Amino acid sequence: MKSLSGLIALLAPLIRGRGPFGRRRTAAPVPFAVLFDRFREVLERHNRAMECIADMGEKLGGDYLFDITYLKDAYAELSGSMAAVLSGFDAITQGRYARLGEIFRSLDSEIRRHVYHTASPPGHLVLFYGEINGSNAHEVGGKNASLAGVKNGTGLRVPDGFVVTVRAYDAFIRHNGIDGKIARLEGEDACQEEALQEIRDMIREGEMPLSVVGTLNAALKKLKETCGGEFFLAVRSSAEEEDGELSFAGQFETVLNVPPESRALQEAYKEVVASLFSPKALAYLQQGGGSAGRMKMAVGCLRMVDAVSGGVAYSTGPRGEERVFISAAWGLGKSVVEGQTDADFYAVSKEAGYAVIERRIGKKETRMTACERGGICTEAIPPALAGQAALTGGQIHELAEAAVLIETHFRGPQDIEWAFGKGGLLTILQARPLLVTASGPSTTPPFGHGPGSRQDSRTGEEVARLRGLSVQRGAGAGRVFVLRQMDDLATLPRGAVLVARNDSSHFIRAMPYVSAIITDVGSPVSHMASLCREFRVPALVNTGTATRTLAHGREVTVQVDDEGTATVYEGSVREVLDRAAAAAPRMEDLHEFRRKRYVVRYISPLRLIDPLQDDFTPEGCRTLHDILRFIHEKSVLHLVEEARNSRSESAPVKLELSVPAGIVAIDIGGGLSPDILKGKASFEQVSSLPLRAFLKGMLHPGAWSADAVPLKAGDFFSSMMRMPDIVSGPVQHTGCNLAVISRDYMNVSLHLGYHYTVLDSYCNGNARNNHVYFRFSGGATDRVKRVRRIRLIASVLRELGFSVSIKEDLLIARLSNTGQAEMERTLTALGRLTAYTRQLDAVLHDDGAVERYAEHFLEGLGFLHEVS
Amino acid sequence: MDTRRIMVIDDERIVGDMAKMALEQDGYAVETFLNGEAALARMKETHFDVVVTDLKMKGIDGMEVLRTVKERYPETKVIMITAFANLDTAIEALRGDVFDFFPKPVRIKELKASIVCALNRQG
Repeated sequence: MKSLSGLIALLAPLIRGRGPFGRRRTAAPVPFAVLFDRFREVLERHNRAMECIADMGEKLGGDYLFDITYLKDAYAELSGSMAAVLSGFDAITQGRYARLGEIFRSLDSEIRRHVYHTASPPGHLVLFYGEINGSNAHEVGGKNASLAGVKNGTGLRVPDGFVVTVRAYDAFIRHNGIDGKIARLEGEDACQEEALQEIRDMIREGEMPLSVVGTLNAALKKLKETCGGEFFLAVRSSAEEEDGELSFAGQFETVLNVPPESRALQEAYKEVVASLFSPKALAYLQQGGGSAGRMKMAVGCLRMVDAVSGGVAYSTGPRGEERVFISAAWGLGKSVVEGQTDADFYAVSKEAGYAVIERRIGKKETRMTACERGGICTEAIPPALAGQAALTGGQIHELAEAAVLIETHFRGPQDIEWAFGKGGLLTILQARPLLVTASGPSTTPPFGHGPGSRQDSRTGEEVARLRGLSVQRGAGAGRVFVLRQMDDLATLPRGAVLVARNDSSHFIRAMPYVSAIITDVGSPVSHMASLCREFRVPALVNTGTATRTLAHGREVTVQVDDEGTATVYEGSVREVLDRAAAAAPRMEDLHEFRRKRYVVRYISPLRLIDPLQDDFTPEGCRTLHDILRFIHEKSVLHLVEEARNSRSESAPVKLELSVPAGIVAIDIGGGLSPDILKGKASFEQVSSLPLRAFLKGMLHPGAWSADAVPLKAGDFFSSMMRMPDIVSGPVQHTGCNLAVISRDYMNVSLHLGYHYTVLDSYCNGNARNNHVYFRFSGGATDRVKRVRRIRLIASVLRELGFSVSIKEDLLIARLSNTGQAEMERTLTALGRLTAYTRQLDAVLHDDGAVERYAEHFLEGLGFLHEVS
Repeated sequence: MDTRRIMVIDDERIVGDMAKMALEQDGYAVETFLNGEAALARMKETHFDVVVTDLKMKGIDGMEVLRTVKERYPETKVIMITAFANLDTAIEALRGDVFDFFPKPVRIKELKASIVCALNRQG
């Protein structure tokens, strides 16, 4: 980027010397020339930040061995670039988007906490769900932040309530002198049962600091006013996502049906916080490579829903099926997530209409309900009701629709807890990301039937075939251990095949040691199911008969497929195990990898795509990439707005071209013919040498037209045709393609479809001053296709003589010291390339296509060279 | 041919985990260690064809691993990786007869190519 800043210095006097663009207008203290210089400075820093993000994306993508030193250094540079962009942007917009700085600081502190392990900044003790947003979400833990996202982002009903934050946790722990004990836990090996017990006791006997009690009481009072009438609270854990993407499904305490009184709430709070130090939770944490003591807990206090029916919904099947999976039971959904009862199961189409594709009504013998005086009761269900569906057709439809909405909001599959209350209203109790494992063809082997496949007369013989609900495919071998009571878990031998009546999140302590899990009753959407998928333990639930079919102590090999079958073979069968292991693991399966690259979620994803959407606001920015996108868009708009307000010759002019490129030009000296009228100019009236050459390429017959590219997605193409009426329309709501031009210069920001192009060029008779800077990024399709497109553009640009650097799907190309005629030819080629490639990634189906399209394009250029 | 054995030593777990997954996919037997002490102890028990070691570690560092391997197991090739690459460390490593030297982050494809090359050199 040094060359660009040098160019700014070089160009400024050249541009300034040419025209009347610097004329001041009375209302604006900042001359346009100064504003434009600042704009270019912002662009330059913006480029640097984009390069940092792309570099991190590449190095943390799984193709490199990296360590924490890289992460620290890379983020230090990115953070510095971001701060510089923001200060430049602030100067341009005169502080209009001060909120953006706050959003950045919040993301920055969150990222620093992960990368450098810095302390949480001061914040709130209590936050109501309606108050939770991007800048304070880190204070409420993962689950609460998600629930607030459901409430504030989708408008679906969630229970009224508030969160006792991580800061309150810190205050409570310090106030009772527990912090020292916790610090000593860190780094030590295994679960030190005694130390943990001591910490739990200190928490239960601890005293809440006065400041926390005062805030808690005020929040309770406010909640009572909101809710009116009699109600109880569900007090739920929400641990910080300190250690990566662990789900913590069912690992911490939830206290249900707590009276809304200060003392009772404090007791429940302490119970939930103490569960952070349970052996079960710590075993889970350590198995995932985490360490005790570093994680903190926020606690959600929500109004209990008097549930008629409840359960879990997956917005996408756990193996990526395009269906909503629903498990439902009578009463509280707790019985489903704990796998304590049989449940109804539905697979529902995600298409509008939400047709039920699969239905299985379970025999729900018990239900959990809120007791009148607090606490939870389990009661038997009358036989007549047990076999009845817990949901009506309308409720299934409503739930599926809600699940799809939540998935759309969070941009990924979700694991959702829900309840229908006595009034028939749907309430969302929790949403968290769902781990989806890649699906594959069924691997049920024809084993035991082929010649030579048996290792002795019995080994390899099929001894049972159980039908149930598949949780995690795979194979494992070991001795069958039929669990009769939970306490027996302590005597489970290593490598056993665990066979149990119910599924249970308590099995987490056994997960490192079991080869497979099979249960009589259970749900593929329970906490245990999440944990099995997370740790890749082959598991089948709801077989009905496993505890009776499989003999305790027998050595077997179990293979679970995706279709709900567990095939059980006699003995340890190497071939079955090998075949299951052959499904290649991915870097993403490595906990350490996920943990270290966890911060990428705050950096790379681009969520803020369409400036026409309502959430194209500072508050809509969830990542640093979003912030950069926002800054680029608003900087361009601001420049146009300032130019328009100036009513001078540098007022924006709409280019009326034969293709709907939607470009607005700001002339800062000799870039347009003086005879333009009503803010509109034709191609012939463009006198800027570089822009004219560039447009010539865009307008080349066939370059823009879709004929050259066999598009599959019509709607994708139509999205590019959006032509913002920026001159007459309300500026703040339009996407903008802008060209700031003089006779010899252009700076173009193009947003065609979902691609972002920045082009900066100086072009006249003096070859030494001439240059082109070309940056290309973004894309609406998947990463593979975007990378293919970048490779295509790179190969063409290299043919044109550019020096090209590529990181992920960001491309930067430079060319300088080139004569005018060659420059114009090159810019024309760039114009054609820009038009040609704007929709290409939608059709680059394989790597070979890159070469074909590149050749096709270069052949076309040959023709262009001949005629130009 | 017997499965070739690779040892990876790095005080950050992620480096060993990622290297193990990537190299096992190519059919190598891989063992990982978080410090030089445990790694050298293991070398007494079994032979490794290639040792990939971090340079800067607490206790026994990469240079000491290199020296020990050259002295006791001259057939074993050592590849050094470091986040703190500079000319001095590179020269020092080369003097110690390191087979290859990579600054971190290191592209896994390049590391694999270097390992193939080291194994070919051993014959």
